[in-house]
Amino acid sequence: MHPLAWFLWIAAAALVPLATRNPLYLVIDFAVTCVVADAVRGQLPQGPLPAFVSPVRFGLFAVPAGALFNVLTSHVGEAVFLRLPDAIPLIGGPLTVESLVYGAINGLILATLFSAFAVLTLAVPVRDLIAYLPRAFYPIAVVSAIAATFVPSSLRQFQQVREAQAIRGYRMRGLRDWLPLFMPVLIGGLERALQLAEAMTARGFASDESGEQASKRNGGRTVVSQLVLTGGLLCVLAGGVMRLLPQGSAVSLPLLLAGSLATAWVVWRVGSQVRYTRYRRPVWAGIDSAVAVLSVLAVIPLLVLAHDYSPYPRLSPPAFDLRVGIAFLGLLVPGLRGTGPLGSGPLGSGGDRRCPSGHSPELGTIGHSGEQHDHV
Amino acid sequence: MAARKAVRSTANALRWVVYGLTSLIGVVAFLYPFFIPSLTSSGGLAHAVDSPLFLGLLGGFSLVALLLEAQGEATSDAKRTALLGVLVGLNAVLGFLETAIPGPGGFSPTFFLIILGGYVYGGRFGFLLGSLTLFVSALITGGIGPWLPYRMLVAGWIGLGAPLVLALSRAFHAQGTRWELVLLAGYGAVWGLAFGALMDLWFWPFAIGPDTQHWQPGVGLGETLQRFLAFYIATSLIWDAMRAVGTVAMILLFGAPTVRTLRRFARRFFFTVAAGPAAYVAGERAAASGTATREARG
Amino acid sequence: MITCERVSFRYPDAAQPALSDVSFTVSEGDFVVVVGPSGAGKSTLLRSLNGLVPHFTGGTFSGRLVVDGFEPVAVGPQRMCRHVGFVFQDPEAQFVMDRVEDEIAFALENAAMAPQEMRSRVEEVLGLLELASLRGRTLATLSGGEKQRVAIAAALALRPRVLVLDEPTSQLDPQSAEDVLTAVARLNVEAGLTIVLAEHRLERVLSFANRVIFVPGGAAPVIAGSPREVVASIALAPPVSKLGKALGWSPLPVTLEEAQPFVAGSLPEILGGVSSGTLTAPIPASDAGHASSATYLVAESLDVAYTGQRVVSDVSLTLSRGEVTVLMGRNGAGKSTLLKSLVGLVRPERGRVRLDGRDITAAPVAEICRDVAYLPQDPNALLFAETVVEELHITLRNHGIALSAAPVPPEVLLGRLGLADKVAAYPRDLSVGERQRVALAAIMVTEPGVLLLDEPTRGLDYEAKARLADLIRQARDARLAVLLVTHDVELAAAVADRVVLMGDGRIVAQGDPYTVLAGSTGFATQIARLFPGAGWLTVEDALKALKP
Repeated sequence: MHPLAWFLWIAAAALVPLATRNPLYLVIDFAVTCVVADAVRGQLPQGPLPAFVSPVRFGLFAVPAGALFNVLTSHVGEAVFLRLPDAIPLIGGPLTVESLVYGAINGLILATLFSAFAVLTLAVPVRDLIAYLPRAFYPIAVVSAIAATFVPSSLRQFQQVREAQAIRGYRMRGLRDWLPLFMPVLIGGLERALQLAEAMTARGFASDESGEQASKRNGGRTVVSQLVLTGGLLCVLAGGVMRLLPQGSAVSLPLLLAGSLATAWVVWRVGSQVRYTRYRRPVWAGIDSAVAVLSVLAVIPLLVLAHDYSPYPRLSPPAFDLRVGIAFLGLLVPGLRGTGPLGSGPLGSGGDRRCPSGHSPELGTIGHSGEQHDHV
Repeated sequence: MAARKAVRSTANALRWVVYGLTSLIGVVAFLYPFFIPSLTSSGGLAHAVDSPLFLGLLGGFSLVALLLEAQGEATSDAKRTALLGVLVGLNAVLGFLETAIPGPGGFSPTFFLIILGGYVYGGRFGFLLGSLTLFVSALITGGIGPWLPYRMLVAGWIGLGAPLVLALSRAFHAQGTRWELVLLAGYGAVWGLAFGALMDLWFWPFAIGPDTQHWQPGVGLGETLQRFLAFYIATSLIWDAMRAVGTVAMILLFGAPTVRTLRRFARRFFFTVAAGPAAYVAGERAAASGTATREARG
Repeated sequence: MITCERVSFRYPDAAQPALSDVSFTVSEGDFVVVVGPSGAGKSTLLRSLNGLVPHFTGGTFSGRLVVDGFEPVAVGPQRMCRHVGFVFQDPEAQFVMDRVEDEIAFALENAAMAPQEMRSRVEEVLGLLELASLRGRTLATLSGGEKQRVAIAAALALRPRVLVLDEPTSQLDPQSAEDVLTAVARLNVEAGLTIVLAEHRLERVLSFANRVIFVPGGAAPVIAGSPREVVASIALAPPVSKLGKALGWSPLPVTLEEAQPFVAGSLPEILGGVSSGTLTAPIPASDAGHASSATYLVAESLDVAYTGQRVVSDVSLTLSRGEVTVLMGRNGAGKSTLLKSLVGLVRPERGRVRLDGRDITAAPVAEICRDVAYLPQDPNALLFAETVVEELHITLRNHGIALSAAPVPPEVLLGRLGLADKVAAYPRDLSVGERQRVALAAIMVTEPGVLLLDEPTRGLDYEAKARLADLIRQARDARLAVLLVTHDVELAAAVADRVVLMGDGRIVAQGDPYTVLAGSTGFATQIARLFPGAGWLTVEDALKALKP
């Protein structure tokens, strides 16, 4: 799928927890994102990413934790199920079912956000994420690409160093013993950075163009950008302060808007001075249009028919509109494709098998992962 | 020439204005959650609903402004770009260790390199090292979320502020002595604790929830602070204390050799080629000589 | 194509110039090999061709250098990259991106090339280097040779007319090196690129080259000329040329092909002239003394798995004190894993390892390594101290040995390894060969009985290699059991008492070097290939028989 289609999907999935506290909608959204995360993960040929926490596990932690914290610190609500002695600071007082539910919803919101963004990490390769940084941040994109490339190799280097230290009698006894592991990797990294810089310079990476000389050449233009940026920040600051004042909210929004526009203009302007072109151009396919349309449609009923929910002052069942719930199911589309654990299950649509790029050595041909280059 | 000089000094002055403004915006953003109750009690429910978004927005602005400000110098040539890329990658790996080591939760080895990187290679470098470390590890481990800009901003500040320690140690003539490390360790301890508190502020609006029912009219800053304290103690204190202790221990144990190594390489990375090549005009003089000088920076 | 007139260069803070008064010319389409000892200024010379020297390094440059009509010193590397493509020693250290195509396109993206043009350029270089089938692969999954070909492709994407390669094969095994050099030779012949290549192993490249530049280092003048002229006048020479010089062959052969006519007619006669009994299996003089030496480290039917795959199956190996055993085999044959399993870094699934009769199969690595010194492929992974001597202290401390109780005083050991004047130096500032010897000192300061060396010749020049061979012989004479894993047949021939060949995780042949090395086509030395069937491995062997 096209990264932009994914971005839309994630925006839609993450909008739900920001727009409503209705637990029924939240649960549906959470389930849908978990299903998609699982399906996308099933398509990755390599194992789960290092340190990747599954959304379900995160949810199992976040919901009880949220409930526990809230029930202990908030003593509002009518259905009291336990009363802690008032002498205990903070948590002393009545414990109510309402605050328990409220806290669980808090946890659910966090879990849903987490789950939606987990899909992003799983579905869109790192370099595509980097490629969609605004043009103005090209230097940062290059730095990030170098770092992302360096991560696996320095993990290997850590392993090598660990072995090399082990064979000179090194034993891990305490924190101090990290030094023999850390220093060779750091020194090796610095040496490697020099070699890399040399290689980049040899291939024409703008060493003469940017920096000193560019700032001399663009001195005036840089100052204009800086001035506008400063103005934008002033607007944002004023807008932020105004919001805190009881009467300021009318002025706040226009100020924030002006600040945003100024910042956006600076980002655009700096970007227009960056000279580079992009090799990779993902192809927008039918499935991408479908996902994009369904993602937008999925959240419209929610926003129009806005059903917020609060358990206070007395617990009540949340309202549920079938139209909102059904619209959410549109977000399932990316999970139906492929041959992940879900695709091969009863819901499987038997879609084409596509491997995420970069993970499949045997797929040496172009066109996988929705990327294609028109040949001349 | 004079005009160019004026342009440069204006640019320098504006740079400090940007730092000042972003810090102020940060202060507003961080204090914001404490005002939510008074806002909601005065009928401003709408504010409270979107407060996480608002915080994200403020954090985002500061981040964008500081990134634009820092990247110009810190990535001005291939050397600094490669150096930054490699250190960010290395630090992201240290971040893995954080999750790989069972044991003290919250201990994060990443702060160590951010602080020392900023200390040795300058504030802007430190800012990018901090914020990009979190960016890249989020890309790799799945930590992307609406909280990311906020986290990047705070981690960037850690690096950005590190040269303050340099100023301090110069003021106290502590350079090259043990006290230099102690000052660095103190800086690490402060940030170890502050980082968790600042991150909590972001999550907090989720936790307390924007709900008028929740707050009796007239409930003011006092109770809000008390609740925040509870929230902080419950969610962060142990972790933050671990982080602070871990960072201090790392700086005291590994700080000296690391600073020495980073300085050793500073000369190779930070010098500017000046004047020399200009002396060359194709084929003009058979034995013309150009000199490229290096200016070490530390 | 390249005109270099009286070029001198001094690095900042350096007392001596790295290049002094260098002059030579290179014509379009030449294949130039640059030779000389490490640190003589080869790299500096190559880097000046695209302006990295002095733009990247700083320093003082004088003289006149014109490459493809431009002066690199004047226009700088950013413009020179369109005229000169540059490939570095370590393929991994030059990659910015993580996939083949992205890496090749990186320079083009930076040059803000139109996407259409960019795609056709990428296709072009993928085709030139036969990488089309690897285009979507991540770089980490490629072999060393493939990586280096990607690096070449990336350097060629901007369509330079000169390709400069700085020891592109020194980190590679022989097959990969062959792969890369063949690709370079094809670029020279088919695409008409001018090639400037620095290389230690002359025997690999002289058959492609039509010019050689010898950089002796110091104040001695640079010699440039045809391979034959240059080889005739320098000490560094491939084995056939050494033999040719000794036997007075004219014109002097520089490749195996050129040497064959001198031998072809008289081969049977040569072989017949020497009593066949001794020739087929000459026993080196030193061998007799070691024949009865005591077994020390014994591996009994080891099975070892690495990352879930069986890499070593049913290997039994005996190392004896005072004997050098050389372990050879293709990439992935399980040599390194076998070595690691001997010191406990990888635990065998089956089988035992005995050290001096003691079962150490499950002993802690730290304990084993006190008596079994193991030098890993990358000695840099060991070194992190601020001075050379401190590296030795660290090892002693690790083992809980007081400095006063050290089996051999660190300074004495360093002196023995020729590092007496480097005791206080920063290890990472030393040359590749010196760093390796520091690492060697760091693992040998406990006075072990066994020395295991994994690919120690990577990145070493002739001189450093000769020193290494001496050190190995020294270790043998000090009654150590030495196991050397190497691809370098010349080194193996020079030091081996016994050769073990591994293939696919098993031992496929073992015996004295003359039967094993001379008999196998893949691991034969140049001399063995020149005199097939004679059983000679080194120039000395041949001379002993031919020039009594």
